[in-house]
Amino acid sequence: MTWVIQTLRWGLMAIVLSLSACSETPGSAGFAGLAEQVEEETFAQPAPGDRLRFPEDFGPHPRHRIEWWYLTANLTTEQGEPLGLQWTQFRQAMVARDPAGPAPEPDSWPLDAGWMAHAAVSFQGQHWFAEKLARGDIGQAGATADPFEVWHDNWHLQVEGEGEGDGHWRLQVDGEGWSYDLRLTVNGEPVAHGEHGFSAKTASGEGSMYFSLVDLVIEGEVTLGGETFGVSGQGWFDREWSSQFLKAGQQGWDWFALHLESGDKLMMFRLREAGGDFLSGTWVTPEREVFPLGPDGIRLEKIEQRDTADGSVPVQWRIQVPGRQADLNVVAPQGHYWNDGLFPYWESPVSVTGSHQGEGYMELTGY
Amino acid sequence: MTVFSALLSHYRRHPLQLLALALMIVLATMLWTGVSHLTDRARASLAQSEQAIAGQQQLVREDGQAVSVQDFADLRRQGLCVMPWLEVQRPSPEGRVIGVDPFASACFGNEAPGQAGVDALNGEPFLDIAEAAEMVRQGSEGDLSLLVPVDVEADAVPSDYRLKDFSMGPATGELGESFLLNLDALGVLVLLITALLVRSVYQLGLVQRRESFTLLRRFGVPAARVQGLLLTEMVGLTCVCVIPGIWLGRWLAEMLGAGFGQVLENLFDAPLYAVDGGGFAMPAMIMVAVVLLACFADQRVLMRLPGVTGSVPAWWFGIPVLGLGLAMVAWPFTLGWLFVGIALVFVAVGLLTPRLLSYVAQWGAEGAGAITLWQRRELAVLFRRLALPVVALQFAVAMVLAIQALVTTFEDTFERWLAQRLEAEFYVEVPVQAAAEDGVRYLESLSGLGDWHLVQRGATQVRQETRRDRAGSSVAADVFSISPIGPLVMGWTLLDAVPDAWDKLAAGQGVMVNEQLARRQGYRPADPIGFTLGEQFLELPVVGVYADYGRPEGEILVVGQILPETFTARFQSLSLNPGALPIAEIELGLAAVWNNDNLTIRDNASIRSLASGVFDQTFLITRAITVLTLVLAGTSLLIMGWVFFTTRAWYYRLLFVWGLSRREVAGQLRWLAMFLTGAVAVAALPLGVWLTWVLVSRVNPLAFGWSLPMAVYPGFWLEMLALCLMIGLAIALLMRRQLGGGVPAPAMANVTGGGER
Repeated sequence: MTWVIQTLRWGLMAIVLSLSACSETPGSAGFAGLAEQVEEETFAQPAPGDRLRFPEDFGPHPRHRIEWWYLTANLTTEQGEPLGLQWTQFRQAMVARDPAGPAPEPDSWPLDAGWMAHAAVSFQGQHWFAEKLARGDIGQAGATADPFEVWHDNWHLQVEGEGEGDGHWRLQVDGEGWSYDLRLTVNGEPVAHGEHGFSAKTASGEGSMYFSLVDLVIEGEVTLGGETFGVSGQGWFDREWSSQFLKAGQQGWDWFALHLESGDKLMMFRLREAGGDFLSGTWVTPEREVFPLGPDGIRLEKIEQRDTADGSVPVQWRIQVPGRQADLNVVAPQGHYWNDGLFPYWESPVSVTGSHQGEGYMELTGY
Repeated sequence: MTVFSALLSHYRRHPLQLLALALMIVLATMLWTGVSHLTDRARASLAQSEQAIAGQQQLVREDGQAVSVQDFADLRRQGLCVMPWLEVQRPSPEGRVIGVDPFASACFGNEAPGQAGVDALNGEPFLDIAEAAEMVRQGSEGDLSLLVPVDVEADAVPSDYRLKDFSMGPATGELGESFLLNLDALGVLVLLITALLVRSVYQLGLVQRRESFTLLRRFGVPAARVQGLLLTEMVGLTCVCVIPGIWLGRWLAEMLGAGFGQVLENLFDAPLYAVDGGGFAMPAMIMVAVVLLACFADQRVLMRLPGVTGSVPAWWFGIPVLGLGLAMVAWPFTLGWLFVGIALVFVAVGLLTPRLLSYVAQWGAEGAGAITLWQRRELAVLFRRLALPVVALQFAVAMVLAIQALVTTFEDTFERWLAQRLEAEFYVEVPVQAAAEDGVRYLESLSGLGDWHLVQRGATQVRQETRRDRAGSSVAADVFSISPIGPLVMGWTLLDAVPDAWDKLAAGQGVMVNEQLARRQGYRPADPIGFTLGEQFLELPVVGVYADYGRPEGEILVVGQILPETFTARFQSLSLNPGALPIAEIELGLAAVWNNDNLTIRDNASIRSLASGVFDQTFLITRAITVLTLVLAGTSLLIMGWVFFTTRAWYYRLLFVWGLSRREVAGQLRWLAMFLTGAVAVAALPLGVWLTWVLVSRVNPLAFGWSLPMAVYPGFWLEMLALCLMIGLAIALLMRRQLGGGVPAPAMANVTGGGER
């Protein structure tokens, strides 16, 4: 779940594309002037009454402007060392399209949508990152719901062995001098965030459709600088789509997805705004009971900052969920975890102590 | 008063001299920095332009079908870095545009062809590939290529595809390398000239400070200490002066380079002109070293205390040095040997010229009238006393003459080189599996088609039975077959030929060989040459030797009709002028007979204008450099001449005592100054012609195995002479003003450099 930074990143890229295509100067209205680039009303807007549908919602949503598929994993090597990794694929539409209607002809090299993929590995204080870009509708990058597959060049996440790999996915990624090849076992049903999947992002009600698979068992191999490590551990998978970009005044985003040793799972985010932060989250019990957390149900406190060449970021947090008697101390390991792509942001594994022990992932933007 | 301040007090009494020395260091630094900056940039720009037009590769389908967006997606999904390149030809004035996908080119990094970033997608000529595809949909002709980075190896390519060169133009290859080598030589010459100029000004100053040095010695200051202080003084002055010099040189290079960069961008659709500013430290250190070397190379400078400016010790030493240098250049073993020989000749000329001119000035003066005798003797003195600036101007003029001839020859050669390779308007590659004969039959069936021929290239073994080698062994060479022999080739430059050479070639009664093969094996027209074609051995006379402008391999040109069945063509292509037919129709016809939609067709006319434009601009820079050098050398002589004449002003005033009128004295001075500078230009002429000959006939064959034609340009010689005379005239005019005011007589006869008479 990387809603805010992704919209920012994609928004800026959309401007670049629009500039190159029509050489017009964007206006200043809306966040980064994006409202001037694409007419909002042509895209479908998520609303509180919307419902999730499976398996369709694993696939793309051409009527919506932005969406992403996102996986984070807290793994351990055979030598017992922690290793974190992430993979994200984004779709950014310039033109809304009816899913039942005809897709643009690939021969026209259409620019109705663009795709971006990110992947990173964090190990022993080091961070490897790669980024890919593609235009949509030509086959270079895309996604299908059934059979489930998301690909970008030779990176792909797909159901393994069509028809017989029920519940097993395979994720293959390679960067420069590093790669990973993972098998993922999906346990449990998708967890709908917010109100049946509608996750509010502002106090005034704008939001996105958002669900997660919070219990992935992962094993496979990670190769770093010619050395291959057998790895295993747990992962978290997000699907989110929307049509609204951030509003002016929203400065950045702090997002956490935590696996607690008690079997509980916690997702929470905070949008930092000049007029007051917006917090939201979801608590999932070991029995898969889902408790949406509103702004009053969570407290987030910054404990410690870390200075890096790319900026100072908070690396230690206190998260309190009074309704679940949770008082968590969340800390990033030593190292710098900037994803140094078109628009840099911080993304690192974290360890959890306090009322609960655990691990997870943290994404920080706007620092 | 300290010793140092006593030394420096000279400049307080003669501030103009300090100014002249500082100005010379600043100007010399500016010139050298500007030249080295420009040559570096010209080198980088040429390298980049070559990369832009010839350094890419593409993937094509093994089955000969045209690549599509599906191929692109498949290749990307297999992990290959591929980017689409959709070239769309539109009628004038819109012209060509190139559609690229900035997303796909990201994996090329900074090596993306044409640097096609999103910020450059403005249709000049790059635009987003969707827009280019729309133009194709609306009827424009489009050609899609899939480019891969140059480091992709053949074994990394999926089996359904193969790598192929992707070229927007011909590689300039060794022609460009040769030109760059000469640019480097030019840079070294400029450094030498600047060193001479600085030394001459410094020597002038030393002479004028001679009395101060003598006084210091009388006060017991050791010579070594004075020497050390002089060194300190020059280090300080140089350090102060090189910084503005470097800055001015950069500025100069920017001024000259901006236009060059603009043209390159227009030609290659990319910011090709190298804009790296470089650091200040290296040029500053080099310049300080050169200045100190020029001024203090002779450690005994104080002991010897040259009597006058730039005296030429041991001038006779120049004679054996000249002989040795000329011999080394005449029989050069290696390039290094040759450069040493050239350096020796320059040293010798520098030693001999002032003395020679001095003798010539006095030659036959005995028995002449008093005024004439005075004129000749005074001129002889001037040549000796102004030795260093005279030699510097001589070198500069010689260099300008050589560079002008070289650049003009290069331009001419390059035009011919382009003409030879790109004579036809279009070039069509015969696909690997296709039969060239089918294409030939198709072209023969067309009416209204312009000139055309089929080119087939293959290998041969040439039996070595020439004047040089009768051993009978064989040497590998290329076969270059053309049929029919027509106007497209008959305009080639033949270095040597028998009468009706082209007719004999067309009739199969002889072959032509390229310059390289002729040089290596000693072939001349009418010599028999034995060679293999497939399994057949032929012996035919050589009917001509054609210029090949840098092709490293030996080559035999034959008419296609004599190729036997067993000859295997390594490469085949058609060169054609479409005449009254549209090229698109010819392309369609050839695609049909060869059953291949993916024909490689090159528009030679646009490539030719593109390549010519780049070289034109490079030549322009070179000319600018030479003019700058000349301006500096001329300015130097002007300053030196003026200063020196000024030191002799009291002496020239004696002419009034002799009864000459003011006008007559001015006339005498005009004669002296113009004769001085004119003689320098004349003395520079043989050196310039010799240098031109060395560059085209010695450096090039040694470095690259082929020669440039030697050409001289007397019109340009006259321009140089006129320029030198103008410098002389300017000196005379300045002196006339000088003599207009009062000039004090010297306290002692030898107080100035003008003491000799």
